[in-house]
Formats: sequence, C-alpha cells, structure tokens
Amino acid sequence: MDLTVSNVRKTFGTTVALDINQFVIHSGDLLGLVGNNGAGKTTLFRIILDLLKPDSGEATMSGDIDGNMVSYVTSKCEDWKDFTGAYIDNGFLIDYLTPEEYFYFIGKSCGIDREVIDQRLMKFEHFMNGEVLNHNKLIRDLSAGNQQKVGIIGAMLNNPQMLILDEPFNFLDPSSQIAIKYILEQYNKETGATILISSHNLTHTIDICSRITLLEHGVILKDYSKEYANLTAEIDAYFRGEVIDTPVASVEINSIEIDVEDPASGYVVEGQNPTELE
Amino acid sequence: MNIFQLYRLVARNQRLATRRHPMFSKGKFMKIFIYLTVAFWAAYLIFFGVLFGTVLKEDSIEPYDRINGGMLFFLIVDFFARFMAQETPAQEIKPYKLLPIPQKSLINIFLVRMGLQLYNLMWFFFLVPFGILCIPEDWGFMGFIGFLLGWWLMFVINAYWYLLWRTLINRKSVFFLIPLVIYAVLVYFGYLHDMNNQWLFYATLFLGRGFIQWKWWSFLSIIAIAVVMFFVNQRIQLASIYREISRETTAMKVKTQKMTFLDRYGVIGEYLRLEIKSIRRNKVVRSQFYIGIFYTLLLCLLLAFTNIYDNAFMTVFILIYCFACLGTITLTNIMCSEGNYMDLLMSRRESALALLKAKYFFNCIMLILPFLISLIPVFQHKFTLLDIAGSMFFTSGCIFPFLFQLAVYNNTTIDLNNKVTGKNNMRGSKTQVIMSFAALFLPMFIMYGLVVAFGDNKVGAPLVMLILGLVGTALHPLWLRNIYKRFLARRYENMEGFRSTRKS
Repeated sequence: MDLTVSNVRKTFGTTVALDINQFVIHSGDLLGLVGNNGAGKTTLFRIILDLLKPDSGEATMSGDIDGNMVSYVTSKCEDWKDFTGAYIDNGFLIDYLTPEEYFYFIGKSCGIDREVIDQRLMKFEHFMNGEVLNHNKLIRDLSAGNQQKVGIIGAMLNNPQMLILDEPFNFLDPSSQIAIKYILEQYNKETGATILISSHNLTHTIDICSRITLLEHGVILKDYSKEYANLTAEIDAYFRGEVIDTPVASVEINSIEIDVEDPASGYVVEGQNPTELE
Repeated sequence: MNIFQLYRLVARNQRLATRRHPMFSKGKFMKIFIYLTVAFWAAYLIFFGVLFGTVLKEDSIEPYDRINGGMLFFLIVDFFARFMAQETPAQEIKPYKLLPIPQKSLINIFLVRMGLQLYNLMWFFFLVPFGILCIPEDWGFMGFIGFLLGWWLMFVINAYWYLLWRTLINRKSVFFLIPLVIYAVLVYFGYLHDMNNQWLFYATLFLGRGFIQWKWWSFLSIIAIAVVMFFVNQRIQLASIYREISRETTAMKVKTQKMTFLDRYGVIGEYLRLEIKSIRRNKVVRSQFYIGIFYTLLLCLLLAFTNIYDNAFMTVFILIYCFACLGTITLTNIMCSEGNYMDLLMSRRESALALLKAKYFFNCIMLILPFLISLIPVFQHKFTLLDIAGSMFFTSGCIFPFLFQLAVYNNTTIDLNNKVTGKNNMRGSKTQVIMSFAALFLPMFIMYGLVVAFGDNKVGAPLVMLILGLVGTALHPLWLRNIYKRFLARRYENMEGFRSTRKS
C-alpha cells in the first residue's frame, strides 16, 4: 500500500506545524520518522489518519486490495480504514474495558471472529509477557507500558496493510522494546505491509526501518534509505546539533519527491527528487 | 519568601485558575452565559430579599427575627451549593508540594483565602436588600452592619464545615451521610418535633439579635467557632496532603461479562455491550444514569400513586418526563464520554454510526421501565393506554431525534471517573447549553399545545403524538445516518475539542 502526502500544510496560530510538498511512502516500506519534539510527527500521522484537518493538501493511500487497484484520499472516504491500523495515544484505548474485551471489540468492529482474534493474540504472547491478558484488570488500571502494548496490539489485530504507530517504544521495558522491534520487522517482511513509526529512540528506529525520515519544524530535512553508509553518523550528528555537511543530493534514496533542506546551506528544493540533484 | 509574598502568589495562581478555566475558553458565549447565570441568581436573591423585607413586615415577628430564626435552612442550602465549586486545599496544594515553602503556612493561606472568598458573600444579594428594608429603622445603620457581619461569619464557618466534610468523604464515602444526618436531626428536633417549642428557631433568632445589637458574646462565640474550625481543618488538611499525593487508585478486578445474547446483533450488539459496561464501570456515566432512573421512578410513582397531576399542565409534565427524563439527562452529554476514545472510533469505518444506533436502541429499551410502571394508573383508569403509548413513542420518535442532534455539536470530553460536579465536567458548548434547555422544555410545550388545541377531545392529542412518534421511530435509520453525516462534516472541529478537553 503506497501512501502519498501531497501539499500538506498545517499551522497552529502563527506556528507552521507541517509543511510537506510531496512525500511518498512505498508499499512495503518500514519508515521511521525521527525528529525533536514539535517536529510535526504526530501532526503528520493525525492528518494521514484524517484525525486533523490540514490547512491544505491531502494524504492518499493506493495499492492492491484483494486484486483490485484502489486509491483513497483519507479525508474523503472511509474505505481505507478497513486496511489501516493505528495507535497514536490513549485516545485509541477504551480504558474501561479489559484488554480482552478491547481486543474483541476491535475484532467485532473489523468483522473478525473471537477465535481468529484469539489466534492472532497468540503471536503477541511474548510481547505481552503474561502481564496483559487474564488479569481481569481494566485497561486504565494497567501500567503505561502495558497500555501501550494493548494499543499496539489493537492496531495490528486486523492485519493492516498500512500500520501507523506513534512512539511505539515509549513506556516499554527493554524486553518489550526488543519484542516489538522483532514483531514489526517480521510483520513487515511477512505481509509486505507499509509501516510508519515515529520515535525518539534512534537506535531502535535505525535498527528496524528500511527508511528514516528526518522531520524538523514541520519540514522534511532528510530522507535516508537504510543502505546509506553514513546513516547513523549523520543522524547522530544532527541531533548533537552539528551541521550535516553531506550535500542533500548525496542522500541515497529512491524515487521520492520531498521538500529538501540542507541545514548547512539552508538551501531548500521543493518537491524534488534528491537523486536528481546529483 | 515571606508569608505575604506567598499569599500574593497563591492568590494570583487562584485568580489565573479561575480566569483560565476551560469553561471560559469555550468562547464569548460561555462567558456571557456564566455572567448571565450569576446575574440571574443575584437578581433572584435580590428579588426575594426585597419580597421578604416587605411581606414579613406584616408578620407579628420582626422580619429579621424570622430570617435569623431560619438561619439553619440558609446554611443548609449554602452548604450543598458549595458542592459545585469548592475544592479542598489538599487537592490544590499538590503543585506546591516540592517547593521550599512550609506546608503549614501554605495550608493557612489556603484556609484564610477560603474564608475570604467572594462566594461567602453570595447571600448578601439577599441579605443586603432585606436588611436595608428592615433593620436600620429599628437598630440604625450599625445594626444593619452587625447583621451582615454576623451572617458573613456564619458563612465562613459553613465554608470550613463544608471543607472538613469534603475532605473526609475523600477518605470514606460513608462520611457523605454526616451532614444529612446532622441536618435531619437538627431540623427534626429543632423545628418539627415540638411546634410550640422550636428551640433552634429561637436560638438562632437570639444569635442574630446579638449580631444586630453588637453583643460581644454573639461575635465572640462565632469567631471562637470559626477559629476552632480553622485549626481542625488545618490538622485534617495537613494529614490529607500525603493521602492526596500518594493516592493510588486500587486496580479493580472486574468480572468479564460476556453478555453473549448481544452477539446476535453484530456490531450494534458490541456497542450496546460497550454502553452497558460504560455505565457499570464509569463513575460519572453511572451517576448520570442513576440520577435519570431516580427521577424516572419518582415521576412514575407520582403518576401511579398521587393525584398531583389533576390539572392539564401537571399531567403533561409528568407524563412526558416519565419517559423523557432519563434520555434527557444522559443524552445531553452524548458523545462526551466517547470523547475519551474518539480517535479510535474515527479510525474505524462507520463505528460512530454503530455507536449512535446502539445508544438509540439502549434508550428505547429503557423506555420499557416507565411504560410498565405507567400501566398502574392505566389499570386504575386514570389514563388510557393511548396516553401512555403516545408519550412513549413521542419520546422515542420525536424527543430522542432532537436530543441526538447534540451528537453533532458536543465536543467536550467528560472525565469518566471524576465526580459529576467536578470542575472538569462543568463545561459545555453554546449549542449544548441551548439544546439542553430546549430538550427540557420544548417537548412539554409541544404536548401542552396539543392538549390545549384538542380541548375536550381526550383522544386527539395522544393520537397525534403516537402517530408522530411512530413515524419518527420508524425513520430512525434515516435520521441517525443524517446525524452521522453531519457529525462527520464537523469531525475536525469536534475531535479538536475532544482532544483539548481530555484528561491526559
């Protein structure tokens, strides 16, 4: 499932929260969105999921669903919801349900039987680590980490072709962080689903993502493929506050049109394929 | 930081908290609405002040003696009115806990401010016009000032008494009963037990006279009580800070009710299950539901076992609200509890529509309760079955569609487990306020209009209501979908509202 974000601009008062000319995420990409607080990561996710109205622009999901080529602008219909899963924050949790009730509720609203839900939950056994199911506890009484697990699992229960997770490593203990990394990587490999995650944890993000996009002040600064040799060094350098002197044009990514800004020169190329700049 | 600087800091923060209350941030309308509400109550109290000051003059007892004699009743009303607004210092002190400020000083400041709060002067809207009319002519201007000062001290004591109780019920809910018991005992033994010797009437009359005459013992005794209450509160509040700060909600083990009979209704059944669980597990939703059921039962029992509905107006009123009051109470906040997980609903196809349908069915099912109780007066030949059926279907087919319109406009998240009267749940949009008032009064006027229009024809009005109701009920898929479409059209605005008013 491809995702295209076109001409999206969002302002809050006088602050520009997001300004993306063209951003394409291809089917099967496991994309990690990194950036400091206020970069616009959650805003981007909300706009993609039609939970927030952009000042302009739209997000389009397109691809093959059951042998049919489809293309849906997310703000104009609800069809895309059938193959999308998302967890951004606890606004996605019904906290007066137990985790089991919540999962069955999600299942029911997606037309999935209880038995199938039970089977799918088995895949998450290691991730849940015996702390989520069969405790007869309401979600609101779970720890933040376990609430996070419930939210992530809930987003994946309908085997989505498009999965969007905001800060999935937050609140999780180290074992669960490793478990969710494995789950996301495997899910991406097995299903070819497009996965978008945002994170402040650079190590985990770089470990599992096939693409890393650096978002800052609402603008996409860099878009790296995993193969890019200096990926870790450059991202580290950026967050240390150093100027990345690699020309934008040398970033090795494929067929993507983005607003590109070189922090060194302040040079912005709107909607250009960086590889074409070489 | 000395005590005066600290006082100024706390005062400033409290002023900011009031000014930045979410209700004010709802825009001009809500500000004007709040001011109008205050103005309404002020005018109401002034009116009664003037009225009592004039009418009671013709009484054999002096008007101020009469009012002083009924002091307890003013204090009782004042006490329960405080439930709406006054918080405990232990709750307010949290943000200051880690600052290098002596806690005792902080508590003292909060308590002093509680005594000096403007709310304690609220009854002056009544007492000033009343006092001007009655007191100076007998006791001069100073008598009037003494009267006001004495009453103000009584309200300060009331504030501390309320605070004590409010803190105690945070520890154990059973303390809720304390004022009820005390007031019941005082009213019974002080006023009702022996009508020839209403000792409490004369005791407070005597105290009030003391205020007017500036008797040292009256002020001294009241100030002594206020000081004692101050220090008792100080101790209790200090002990409560740690409880407030270290308060952990004990994780409730719940029994998973599968309610498998709902499975056959598919997604709607799932949302019905959600509705039932929401009532069972969320304090605020549960309270609203119980209040609705309480009033439904009260009105139904009035209908079944009394004759207060002998005139046309009361008949219309009780009949309609027997059926509509539960829905009116719960549906006024439609979608507000769902605001807590609106993002989830909006990320699933048509889930909000399924939710609306489930809510409609749930409220329709709840109409069975008043219908069954209403059969009693039918069997007693006080009403016809048509009257009852007309009211019931008018509710499901005309009143509910009206109330469900609020799903389009409501955009304030309710904190599901805050107390119903908690500040965070005292918010609403302009439309919510207008629609709530309309929902409360419009059906009654429509029905009353029909009754008047048909005059002696006892069948006409309920028949029209039945037909209108049946049409509205049968068309529920259409109007619910229409509401859903309009809900989607306003989704961004609403979701922003839900998010900004969500607890975390």
